[in-house]
Amino acid sequence: MCQNPNEQKLNPSHFEGSTEEKQTAHEVDGGFAAYTQGMKFFDPHVHMTSRTTDDYQALADAGVVAIIEPAFWLGQPRTGLASFKDYFASLVGWERFRSSQFGIKHYCTIGLNSREANNEALAEEVMEILPLFLQKEGVVGVGEIGFDDQTAAEEKYYRAQLELAKEMGLPVQVHTPHRDKKKGTERSMAIALEHGLAPHMVVIDHNNEETVKSVLDQGFYAAFTIYPFTKMGNERMVEIVKQYGSERIMVNSAADWGISDPLAIPKTAALMKIKGISDADIQKVTYQNALDSFAQSGQINEQDFIHGLEIDQSLKFNGNTVLRGGQAPRVDKNSIFIR
Amino acid sequence: MNTAELLNQSIQSLASSTELAWLEDKLKADSKGLSLAFVIAPRQIAKTPVGIIPGWNWHNSTLDQLVRVYLLIHLAEKEDGKSRIETLFDTAEMNELVALYRALPVLPTPEIWLHRATDAVRSNMGPVFDAIAFGNPYPKAYFSELAWNQLVLKCIFNDKPIHLIEGLDERANQALADTLADFAHERWAAGRRVPSQVWRLIRNFQTNTKEQDLKRLQESSDPNDRIAAELIQKNSPLEAWKVLEREEKAY
Repeated sequence: MCQNPNEQKLNPSHFEGSTEEKQTAHEVDGGFAAYTQGMKFFDPHVHMTSRTTDDYQALADAGVVAIIEPAFWLGQPRTGLASFKDYFASLVGWERFRSSQFGIKHYCTIGLNSREANNEALAEEVMEILPLFLQKEGVVGVGEIGFDDQTAAEEKYYRAQLELAKEMGLPVQVHTPHRDKKKGTERSMAIALEHGLAPHMVVIDHNNEETVKSVLDQGFYAAFTIYPFTKMGNERMVEIVKQYGSERIMVNSAADWGISDPLAIPKTAALMKIKGISDADIQKVTYQNALDSFAQSGQINEQDFIHGLEIDQSLKFNGNTVLRGGQAPRVDKNSIFIR
Repeated sequence: MNTAELLNQSIQSLASSTELAWLEDKLKADSKGLSLAFVIAPRQIAKTPVGIIPGWNWHNSTLDQLVRVYLLIHLAEKEDGKSRIETLFDTAEMNELVALYRALPVLPTPEIWLHRATDAVRSNMGPVFDAIAFGNPYPKAYFSELAWNQLVLKCIFNDKPIHLIEGLDERANQALADTLADFAHERWAAGRRVPSQVWRLIRNFQTNTKEQDLKRLQESSDPNDRIAAELIQKNSPLEAWKVLEREEKAY
């Protein structure tokens, strides 16, 4: 829910760059892997439900070892509780399994997104089932929640979910609005503080140059969503890291059913490398900070994925949906398990 | 000793005092508390490896999962236990589904969960399918012939090892033998094969193509196929098929 192609003109990206930058972007797009050898990545915001198995394959090949899938809307509003229930269940069930087949550890955050908070009758029902899902294994936070149109209903359910997060000791993943972003971001932070959440338990998402300083100054984590094409190539993300360092800053792809790129993190890492950002800083903004912030849930064990999951698609985990006839299964040759 | 006692014995020997205190407290809860305890168990109980418990069919699981099964047995005894467990199924995370399906044969009235068990066979989540298919006595005891045959066929279709299914030979039947022969022909036509041990399922049945299939196996370049042919021709006892009990690539 981070990108609406129809709004691009109304909301020019803060990541658009010059012709020169676009040229660099083109190079990074084609050969980023040359710059990211040996790097491991953690994407704390990607909607894999909307992606294909090719994307999983590409993520695995690019060094993405773990991902977080926030609950969001599906491009159109749901009309009943059962749709929410099944969606949440799929995030902890089928999608988790699908990801494991490609050796990627899949976590999720669960929440009522801002757009659908505006259907109050349904929102009340969703709030009833949230605690059950929030306590599931591998659920690493409440998210993505926050403001979209900044209505009273959005505020009501944002507040209610902040209370849930506090009660359960979970981090919060805050979606900031596309429109009136700066005010919306400030308001989101103020409300979180008002509810007594420690800023280090809150990840403010979709930042830009206008919002980042205040977010960091107040002690929150600041996440940046990198979009493809012109936006991806520009140097502003790199400039942000140059200016603000790597403390509490993380990048994500927020790839979904819109025009987006699940490889945004490795590509950004390559660009940072080209632009002279240190490996240590790249590691922090493309892996460590995401891990540290969401590991506060107590639900992430780095050992589960840092050396790769045990991949064996051909035998143990082979359902017939993901690998259709004729497609050669990929087996992890480095695994110590020989079957 | 019943299953609950058996599991409790293992839990007592493996869990820390903190874990045991948590469990003891949760067992006093009402049905809502018990079902929530099932969900949050991994946050309180470590994933301590559990080896083989004699008399219990789920080998090499973890302590948190064992505790979940134990909690389910208690939950099932409550007045609204069934509806609580239905909700757990509907909202389950992957490991929860595995625990639920492993628990089915030891719940008080296992037969009422048949619709769930057959759903697991339809699942494309590998661990969920495996939980009902392998080392689980539930299908053998409660599946109709149609459901049973689907279980076995899906296993073969997905190149999973059928010898891990409980009751494999006892529940072999004519309809399954006929379908398997057809399936082997489809695979052959596609330049593939079925694992050699699959042929044990037609050893006691006459199929339309048995003679020519046996001939093909005898002439196979795969030594395991030749062994299978010999075992059928000699009418060898079931134990003799053990040499073929393995996972085999179908292509």
